[in-house]
Amino acid sequence: MKLKPRTLAMILAGGRVDDLTVLTFHRPKSAVPFGGFARVIDFPLSNLMNSGLDRVAILSQYRSYSLINHIGIGAAWEMIGRYRGISVLPPYIGYGNSQWYRGSSDAVYQNLDFVQYINPEQLLILSGDHIYRMDYREIINYHREKDADLTMACIKVPMREAHRFGLADIDEEDGDLGGRVLRYREKPENPEFNWASLTVFCFKPTVLYKILEANIKEDASYEFGRDIIPRMMNENLRVYGYKFRGYWGYTRTIEEYWQTNMDLLGPDPKIKFADWNIRTNMEHRGIGDCQPLKIGDNARISDSLIYNGCIIEGEVEHSILFPGTHVEKGARVKDSVLFFKNVVGKEAKLDKVISDVNTTFGRGVRIGTEGKPGPKEASVIGWNNFIKADTIIGSKCIVYPALASEKIPKQVESGEVVR
Amino acid sequence: MNNQEDTLVLLLAGGVGSRLNILVQTRAKPAVPFAGLYRIIDFSLSNVMNSGMRHVGVLTQYKPLSLMRHLGTGEPWDFTGRSRGIKILPPSTGFRDSDWYKGTADAIRQNLNFVRAHPSKEILILSGDHIYEMDLYALVEFHRSKKADITIGMMIVPQSQIHQFGTGITNDEGRIVEWEEKPKVPRTNLASMGIYVFNYDYLLKLLAEDKAMVDFGMHLIPRAITRDNVFAYPFEGYWRDVGTIQAYWEANMDLLKDDPEISPENWGIRPNLESEQLLADRIPARFTSGSRVNRSMISAGCVIEGEVVNSVLSPGVKVGPGSIIRDSIIMHDCSIEEGAKIDLAIMDKRVKIGKGSVIGKGEKKDIPNSKYPDHLYTGITLIGKEAEIPPGTVIGRNCIINPWCKQNCFTDNVIQDGATI
Repeated sequence: MKLKPRTLAMILAGGRVDDLTVLTFHRPKSAVPFGGFARVIDFPLSNLMNSGLDRVAILSQYRSYSLINHIGIGAAWEMIGRYRGISVLPPYIGYGNSQWYRGSSDAVYQNLDFVQYINPEQLLILSGDHIYRMDYREIINYHREKDADLTMACIKVPMREAHRFGLADIDEEDGDLGGRVLRYREKPENPEFNWASLTVFCFKPTVLYKILEANIKEDASYEFGRDIIPRMMNENLRVYGYKFRGYWGYTRTIEEYWQTNMDLLGPDPKIKFADWNIRTNMEHRGIGDCQPLKIGDNARISDSLIYNGCIIEGEVEHSILFPGTHVEKGARVKDSVLFFKNVVGKEAKLDKVISDVNTTFGRGVRIGTEGKPGPKEASVIGWNNFIKADTIIGSKCIVYPALASEKIPKQVESGEVVR
Repeated sequence: MNNQEDTLVLLLAGGVGSRLNILVQTRAKPAVPFAGLYRIIDFSLSNVMNSGMRHVGVLTQYKPLSLMRHLGTGEPWDFTGRSRGIKILPPSTGFRDSDWYKGTADAIRQNLNFVRAHPSKEILILSGDHIYEMDLYALVEFHRSKKADITIGMMIVPQSQIHQFGTGITNDEGRIVEWEEKPKVPRTNLASMGIYVFNYDYLLKLLAEDKAMVDFGMHLIPRAITRDNVFAYPFEGYWRDVGTIQAYWEANMDLLKDDPEISPENWGIRPNLESEQLLADRIPARFTSGSRVNRSMISAGCVIEGEVVNSVLSPGVKVGPGSIIRDSIIMHDCSIEEGAKIDLAIMDKRVKIGKGSVIGKGEKKDIPNSKYPDHLYTGITLIGKEAEIPPGTVIGRNCIINPWCKQNCFTDNVIQDGATI
């Protein structure tokens, strides 16, 4: 029984996040592409793999297909074997009361039989939404050392942004490493402290079981941040904060998503991507079938990440291109993130565009407000679109997925939504 | 996609390919990297996969380790499952006679137990040495429609090269009536591609006839032609043997042409993503703001800070600022430091080129390598696996730097044209 896993990791991957608009119309946020070849969920999954934790469950609810397809059999993260594996846990119909997951903690509650069957010594609960690298063994060790009921990873955020997060007041018990959480506030209007929760929780399972039961019986809301942690604080349980100091990329809005992508670029990128050892499923969207990136005679590429399977004949600057994207002659792509299999036609100019898979930009299409004064914000193009030649689209526009191409006007003003 | 249940594939992957010089010092020719992400054998394996054949035996002999690692379970080429499989067939000692493989036919004769364990209608024999795309199912259909005993994949090659091949003279219906192996004075331009379809029972009978006949091209085919139904299947399309340094370099350069005849991705060629290169662990290629790349193929995991022109780079190559790579093939995880100049070179894996070094100096491309004048004579310089070239070294044309040469191998910082270190 030595090989039996002591830690069960559960990834909360159900959510869709309204602010990402068309990017999450057909997939949960955790399956949104990131970094030129990967998906957001590859970050927690690869962190788990690199931490040697290989018994994992994924709680999924919203449009799970893309996610289930991506996880496959878990082989990409070496999670197949006698005690290794990834189980996708969707909502299910039971005998009696069956319902959708009503919140993050309800998703775990509804799968308690699964958790109790594995019977781990600690339960690691992670969000599938963030871009970061963490060795979870450190927080687990700290958790065990403190004999804590809950240890939560926190990062210091600027006070002016703190109101968006669950915040912990951590004492100096272990200095830089962490300490006891004295107070916890979920998204307070006037924050008094600024250690923000990363949604990386290490629970003592027996304690969590009791708290979940009480929460289901007595409350009307079932979220870890809003309900479970405050309840544990009220009961004066041993809640510890583990102080994380690495990079943490938040991707809840289009602007944040864009910025986190851009953190991969520059002379000294904030994300040391090559060192993170991020794995993805190479069978998903056939990335494994791509040949090396092909670069033509007149191409110019600067400060960009471009994956196999792309063909670059035009100009690419400060951008991230996923497999299978073709930038034709005379085209220019700047400050953009183009997902799989985009085609940027001749002389087309894209400036700060996030474009979902299978979108074609016809000859001479212009997107963005390059050269014009004023703030520029990303325009987002949904998947499977064909933007006709010479169409002009401003900044901060949204084009819905798979529109008939005549539905997209020849001129779209900044801030417009085309549906 | 057809389900070719009835054809067993035997892939001959034992070739030394000695004219590839130090590229085959540690690996067999089919395992030589090609087109950035692939090895030569991926082309044959993917053709088999795409033609729907499901059972493959790979006959190995020369330095099979990297080949075995590369094949793994065969999963990249869809050879795993209840009715699928790929097996490595090395030479082995037996109860009575045991020997190395003495030739192509002998290799199969020594593995008759494998053949007998996979009864099928036909046996398709391929070589793992070639770069091509072919619908092998169409070949088998042709074989069946002609009710042939043997069908040989053949193509037209230029008169100047024909002496390297087995050649066949056909009649009007495509039947081969005469065979000449590597003729000095060729009478035809139809050359064998080393691709044979045999009827299953026919091959077993033919192999049993005379154990002294150890080679298909030399012995068995000429004999069969005189009395049995042997047909030529005409192949048109891109096919290269890449058995010489020059041909290997040219085929890589063919990838870079406009509308190239060769496109591994369009051909459906699969690499092994999980073999020791760990392609699956590579992030996208990074181009910094000072980089300049034209007419090249760049693989994931490369970091380009300098200039790359007309070259093929495998995963993980680092090109430092101010350095220039031109007309070269650079394999996995080589590191080209600041200000180095590389012109017309083939670099094996994990080579380090020190700051400001020059590879391919001068214009005397016609001084052949003094040790291997018939291997290197067009100006290409070869640098072996994990060699480390000290900073400021200047290396000429047609040079060979052997694998694992480090600082202490270099007594002088100028290496003359045609020299070997």
